[in-house]
Amino acid sequence: MAINQQKTTNNRSSDQRIWLLIGATALIAALFVPFSQIFLHVEYDYTLRTVALGGALLGIVSGVLGCFAVLRRQSLLGDALSHAALPGVALAFLFFGRDLGLLLVGAGVTSWLGVFFIRLVTNTTRIKQDAAMGIVLAAWFAAGIALLVYIQARPDASQAGLDTFIFGQAAAIVERDVRLIAVVGALSFIVLALFWKEFKLITFDAEFAGANGFRVNILSMALSTLIVVAIVLGLQLAGVILMVGMLIASGIAARQWTNQLGQMVILSAVFGAFAGGAGAIISAVDADIPTGPLIVVVAFLLVALSLGFAPGRGLVWTLLRRRADRSRFAAQTMLQDLYHYATDHGSVDLAAPESFLFGVRGATAKLGLQQLQARGHAQRSNGAWMLTPPGIDAAADEARNPAAGRPPPAGIEAAAHDDRNHQLWAVYRQYADDLALPTVAEDRQQPIANALPPAAVAKLEYKLDTIRNAATTPSSE
Amino acid sequence: MFQLEELIIHFLLNFVAREDLNAFLRNPQYTATLVGSLIAVSGALLGTFLLLRGMSLTSDAISHTVLLGIVVAFILMGSVFGKHPDLSSVWLIVGAAAAGVATVLLTELIYRSGLVKQDAALGLAFPLLFAIAVILVSRVVSDVHLDEDAVMVGEIGVAWANTNSHCLNDCETVTITPDDSRAELTRQCTNCRDLGISPRDDKAEFTEICTNCGHYSPAQAWQAGFTQREPILVFWPKSITVMAVLTLLTIVVVVLLYKELKLSTFDPTLAAALGFRPTLLHYGLMVMVSLVAVGAFDAVGSILVVAFFIIPPAAAYLLTDRLPRMLVYSSLIGAAGAYTGYDLARGNLLGVVHVSDILAALNNLFGLGLSEQWDSSISASMVLMTFLFFLAAWIFSPKYGLVSTMLRRSNQRRSFDDQVVLGHIHRHQGHAAESDELTASTLYRHFRWSPAKMERTLRQLRARNLVQIEADQVSLTDRGETHAHRFRQTQLTNESVGELST
Repeated sequence: MAINQQKTTNNRSSDQRIWLLIGATALIAALFVPFSQIFLHVEYDYTLRTVALGGALLGIVSGVLGCFAVLRRQSLLGDALSHAALPGVALAFLFFGRDLGLLLVGAGVTSWLGVFFIRLVTNTTRIKQDAAMGIVLAAWFAAGIALLVYIQARPDASQAGLDTFIFGQAAAIVERDVRLIAVVGALSFIVLALFWKEFKLITFDAEFAGANGFRVNILSMALSTLIVVAIVLGLQLAGVILMVGMLIASGIAARQWTNQLGQMVILSAVFGAFAGGAGAIISAVDADIPTGPLIVVVAFLLVALSLGFAPGRGLVWTLLRRRADRSRFAAQTMLQDLYHYATDHGSVDLAAPESFLFGVRGATAKLGLQQLQARGHAQRSNGAWMLTPPGIDAAADEARNPAAGRPPPAGIEAAAHDDRNHQLWAVYRQYADDLALPTVAEDRQQPIANALPPAAVAKLEYKLDTIRNAATTPSSE
Repeated sequence: MFQLEELIIHFLLNFVAREDLNAFLRNPQYTATLVGSLIAVSGALLGTFLLLRGMSLTSDAISHTVLLGIVVAFILMGSVFGKHPDLSSVWLIVGAAAAGVATVLLTELIYRSGLVKQDAALGLAFPLLFAIAVILVSRVVSDVHLDEDAVMVGEIGVAWANTNSHCLNDCETVTITPDDSRAELTRQCTNCRDLGISPRDDKAEFTEICTNCGHYSPAQAWQAGFTQREPILVFWPKSITVMAVLTLLTIVVVVLLYKELKLSTFDPTLAAALGFRPTLLHYGLMVMVSLVAVGAFDAVGSILVVAFFIIPPAAAYLLTDRLPRMLVYSSLIGAAGAYTGYDLARGNLLGVVHVSDILAALNNLFGLGLSEQWDSSISASMVLMTFLFFLAAWIFSPKYGLVSTMLRRSNQRRSFDDQVVLGHIHRHQGHAAESDELTASTLYRHFRWSPAKMERTLRQLRARNLVQIEADQVSLTDRGETHAHRFRQTQLTNESVGELST
């Protein structure tokens, strides 16, 4: 009961943190406009306003829908489908002329056929999904190029600018396009909201969804269709090659901060809006900088920040925690070593020679003794170490009752246990997919046995042991 | 490269006349097909290993980031030597190979953090590198012929026009210096722009500059009219040399490292245990992919080169289970795609259908007013033909094709039906409820089948002389009896074996 209560408060405070982060990012995004005016001397003319607004809206749409692509491990689907849109643009132009809405409908249709083809090939042959995506990417794009070259041979100039879809051209965006992005994006959000529960279910546990009678095939096609919508809207701005970066980057960044889908989607939308808007504005500093690539670079900076600093998951965080763990563990070990050495030799205040301790424990000894000295639990005299009275108390305390050590200097076993727990969590993060483990919130302060079923923990333990054995056995490399 | 071409030309001239060789090389179709086939073969060989390693899309990523390598090498060359290299310089190829490896390294770095899944890592790495490349192109080298359009799309149809000229006879190189009688000198005002005055002004100062000075190769000298006798020349397209060298390199690598590649593809752990260095092989493979991608980019463009890495191996994968055959098949499919693709670009699909007819039909149906002259991208058409071969392999493959799978399934279903009916008769023959259970006209009820299905099955069984029907009663013939008996026996053996092993 107490644990439960603690958990909920824990969740609530982490919830608050996420909402704060979302608010802060939105604020920074909003403040970026006056900042750019004052420091970068950007002039907000009509074109820039349109492009920046379009970029921000597009960032929201692709950020929200991209989350699902990331979570379903279909990040590269975005790449395949954006390439697959090209023949649709060309065909729509041939049949209906130059109307942006219809061009995008055409793009959507061929992209969607690409999705269908990928599913068909992977379902009926032994070709894997990545190769199937590659086939669609190359073949559809080739068809698009063939059609474009044919169209460009036309005598009139009406086809001019169709190839901007390949590399994207932000300057071509006008107010009507922005309105189109807003309306279609809003419609796709409504669909997303209506089927939120279903989409969430097939994203995290498709088999469970199927067993409960949800039409997984239809739902996943619908979700892919929404992703197609995001891609098609972004083509004009980012082009077919960079669209995949726009689609997934903000989703990946958001994933680092939270374990809840709702929060992830909103955070990703804010990140996307920031990347899209800021990218567009920075590119206005100099006429030579293309907008689409700059948006991708800004989005990648967000990803790098998130990978580095996200609490609990980020690389810096992991590094700090590992270091703290190591020194705490070293202090514990040395405390026990000194105590056992002294008691084994008859008197509790007997000093252990430094060279002996270093020889037995190596680097751990140095680190641990430093800690103990700082804490006042041990002192050095004549090249030997001995426990101080408070140190003896602490050590005796632990020796009597190792498992229930007092919180700051926890018992050795508790520390070792904790270390093991961290290692198991690390294995979980790396191999969860390979071992087909359920997806759970990754909270390293919590024992992994509380989060996962026993069978899963057993799998992890086994994996960890094999990794360790492999690491200790000398390999031929 | 140049010397190599000389060697090849001298070798070839032992077999063909110079005029024929020139005619062959100056023919856009032959050159395009040759270059396309070389790209297809080298791509297919490497792509086979990529496909089997589940890394097909890495070739896509590399082919994009090759642009970054080219651009960076271009800028570095420009700042170090003060002179921008041309697009077939060796340094650009080195830069591109480095970019390919950098892509893979960056992807692994992101993936190793454990925070991002593998596909997402790839999807982050290559758009970033490509975006940087595009920004660099537009910021730094905007005035040179090096735009992303040229790198991404390319056109193989003009491969024949970009040539080195090799002189065989009557070679006369000409060097024009300012004091040569043929030098054309013009006066140029040196201070007009600075002072903002016109050349007629009194204060204007002039120097003499030579507009046609420099070194002329035999071909250029003849063209400029400096030499009297026409040199005997062979024009050799540069792409052929580049791709031939790369293809040869690919073949050598695949043949020499065949065993290592095979083992590290199918069982990386064993390969590592045997000391084969899978990591080294992995990066070696990536270097090869980058080299082929960059070698091919000015012929087919770097997006379409992906097609040659992925589609032919995928088609071959459906045709065979053996690695050597897969390598051969995918090379053949790629080359065939390149060969037939040229005709498709000219509107001729395998000599069967003409695209202009389709366009005319569309015009008639919808009144679109499309141009009926189909003249399209050759490299894209080569990809489309390769894709067509993939579709053919998918549908008609004897083992994994749609048709054969369908036939096999329906055969299995039918033989199962036969077996069930035979078993039913065998079980009830000569027992109490025989007359009820074995009435031919109502037999279908016991199986909950449709009457038509039962009729069909019985007809087949009778045709095979396994059952007979007398007075609406079904019974087994002698042949049917042995058949059912034997089936029962094998089933029983199988079951007992199954029990033993569990």
